[in-house]
Amino acid sequence: MEKRLIKKEALAGIAKRIAEDVTVYAPVRVEENVLFKVLEKGEEPLFTYQNSKNAPKNFFFPRSEVMLRYTRTPKGVEFTAEELFARDGVLMGARPCDARSFVLLDMLFDQEKYKDPYYIEKRNRTTVVSLACAKPPYRECFCTSVGGHPVDDKGADVLITDIGDVFLVEFVTPKGEKLLKYFGDQKADAASEEKKAAVAAAAEAALTWKIATHEVKEKLDRNFNSPFWDGIHKKCLACGTCTFLCPTCHCFDISDEMKYDDGRRLRNWDSCMFPLFTKETSGHNPRPTQKERWRQRVMHKFSYYPENFGAIACVGCGRCVQSCPVNIDIRKIVAEAMELA
Amino acid sequence: MQNPYIPYPVEVIKIVTEVDTKDIKTFRLAFVNKEDEEKFKYTPGQFAELCVYGKGESPIGIASSPTQKGYVEFTVQKAGVVTTALHEMEEGTRMGIRGPLGNSWPIEYLEGKNVVVVGGGFAFTTLRSLINYMIYEDNRKRFGKITVVYGARNPGLLIYKDELKAWAERGDIEMNVTVDKGDATWTGREGFVPTVCKEVAPSPENAVTVICGPPIMIRFTLPVFFDLGFSKENIITSLEMRMKCGIGKCGRCNVGSKYVCKDGPVFTFAELDKLTRDF
Ligand SMILES: Cc1cc2nc3c(=O)[nH]c(=O)nc-3n(C[C@H](O)[C@H](O)[C@H](O)COP(=O)(O)OP(=O)(O)OC[C@H]3O[C@@H](n4cnc5c(N)ncnc54)[C@H](O)[C@@H]3O)c2cc1C
Ligand code: SF4
Ligand code: SF4
Ligand code: FES
Repeated sequence: MEKRLIKKEALAGIAKRIAEDVTVYAPVRVEENVLFKVLEKGEEPLFTYQNSKNAPKNFFFPRSEVMLRYTRTPKGVEFTAEELFARDGVLMGARPCDARSFVLLDMLFDQEKYKDPYYIEKRNRTTVVSLACAKPPYRECFCTSVGGHPVDDKGADVLITDIGDVFLVEFVTPKGEKLLKYFGDQKADAASEEKKAAVAAAAEAALTWKIATHEVKEKLDRNFNSPFWDGIHKKCLACGTCTFLCPTCHCFDISDEMKYDDGRRLRNWDSCMFPLFTKETSGHNPRPTQKERWRQRVMHKFSYYPENFGAIACVGCGRCVQSCPVNIDIRKIVAEAMELA
Repeated sequence: MQNPYIPYPVEVIKIVTEVDTKDIKTFRLAFVNKEDEEKFKYTPGQFAELCVYGKGESPIGIASSPTQKGYVEFTVQKAGVVTTALHEMEEGTRMGIRGPLGNSWPIEYLEGKNVVVVGGGFAFTTLRSLINYMIYEDNRKRFGKITVVYGARNPGLLIYKDELKAWAERGDIEMNVTVDKGDATWTGREGFVPTVCKEVAPSPENAVTVICGPPIMIRFTLPVFFDLGFSKENIITSLEMRMKCGIGKCGRCNVGSKYVCKDGPVFTFAELDKLTRDF
């Protein structure tokens, strides 16, 4: 694996240089939030942030995207064009939890039988440069409880770690190596590896929240009908903030829009927290109250995903915990579920 | 990469109004590009997303049998936006279909066995596909005895009336068509589906029951088959959940860890027992 050392101040300049060649998505300060967005010409990326308010999944799975277009003909409304919007890009500065979320989303969107070309095209053409969490940024972080690590390279093509005086840049995949030319030629030495190991150990120790998730699936499956679920949803407003900010939530709606003779089919993020999500035309709703919806959210992440793909569908970023307007905490729910028989 | 979200263009070549209330119609669709028909190779029990551009898509079971060439058929009840738009269509109109989707009736498993087909109301569509498949020419000898129990609230609500008659005239399939309540012209059987199943009393020996209908009918019919000695492994049904993508991505149609669109819609009651589920 190629490894380089760069001065910390150099990273923003490197991002800007890459942005001259391809589209760069990077964290930028927007009013009081840090958001991932396309870096405009001359715009300053921010690499001293904690984590972004929005998850970077947006670049592979946009909040709203056109799938196809159609038009009215004398024979009826007919298909005109497929719309696969993809361009070469570099996603700079994703935190390891968010980078790992792409691995989880790949399992769903890039399966053997049904491939989702909208996601796959964007994903294939994007290089992910992760910025390790030398200091886990939030009290709400719990990546190590769900299979991640603050200095993890899963889902990253390039991993950058702050090892004190400099950044260690590791080119994890061949796709990542294509960016070598932007990162200078100071090769990393053995001492920098040791420093990285020390940083990783310190970061892991600094995480305050640790929950056991061993056999959480079996516990949840056994307790599907337990009174445990009767209380947890009571405060929930069904606002959907948790699922919109979550890097692994992938549910969407498909809808049609027509103006005069031309129309398009779109997909938009949807949420299992919304009452209409599963409501059928007859009025029947298999998940009639917020209780069943909350149970679905927890089961999906901690039981069904592990069953279907062998991994928990939560990366421990803490966004849902931070932003829920009524302070519902998925960590506590899982921790309490682990106490069940 | 084949884009699974792009429908094949089709033309509506025939529309049949099935019931007196006129809210159930069968649409016969022909592929605009002949090679698409080859790609849309299906098995009874599968479904497709019917696409009315500008309105949306609806998941609908395939009502024709793959032995019928040159078209596919769907029987649709007028319900909401898309199905209403379909009902307003005329022959000659172009639309789209996406599929085939989902698993299917377990044809190989049914081979060599006696098959009991139980349907209620208009949820008889993929059962019709299965029956037409099983009785088609040489296919017939691959299956044992075929017993059908099909019921509707009244005679005007029975669908596929001509076919029901034609099937009854063949000697190789036992038809039991029933209505909850007959009318002046009805000479057939009266009685609810569960009661008729009890009277017909098919033997569980080397037999499988395939059942589709309103939840209430299923609830009362299941115990009849358990009493007759059928195991949960040998009672098979098809589920409905609200759907969008049809390919296990949009996250809407799961029953426990299974997506009805991709892992279903066909399940045995033994499989359903193992899933944690909301109703
Ligand atoms: C596997 C399967 C097979 C089906 N087979 C048939 C059939 O053979 N004949 C028939 O008449 N109906 C069938 N249905 C039900 C049919 O899909 C719904 O009645 C239809 O989608 C309603 O759409 P709408 O646009 O008219 O209603 P709206 O309420 O306007 O639709 C909103 C959207 O919700 C979804 N939706 C709403 N209700 C359902 C539902 N019960 N099931 C699935 N999606 C729903 C659809 O995506 C629809 O586009 C089947 C459903 C499934 C899941
Ligand atoms: S469930 Fe919450 S903590 Fe877990 S990945 Fe989603 S937003 Fe982050
Ligand atoms: S953010 Fe909180 S209130 Fe909003 S849907 Fe999620 S759990 Fe409910
Ligand atoms: S319809 Fe989208 S997951 Fe089943």
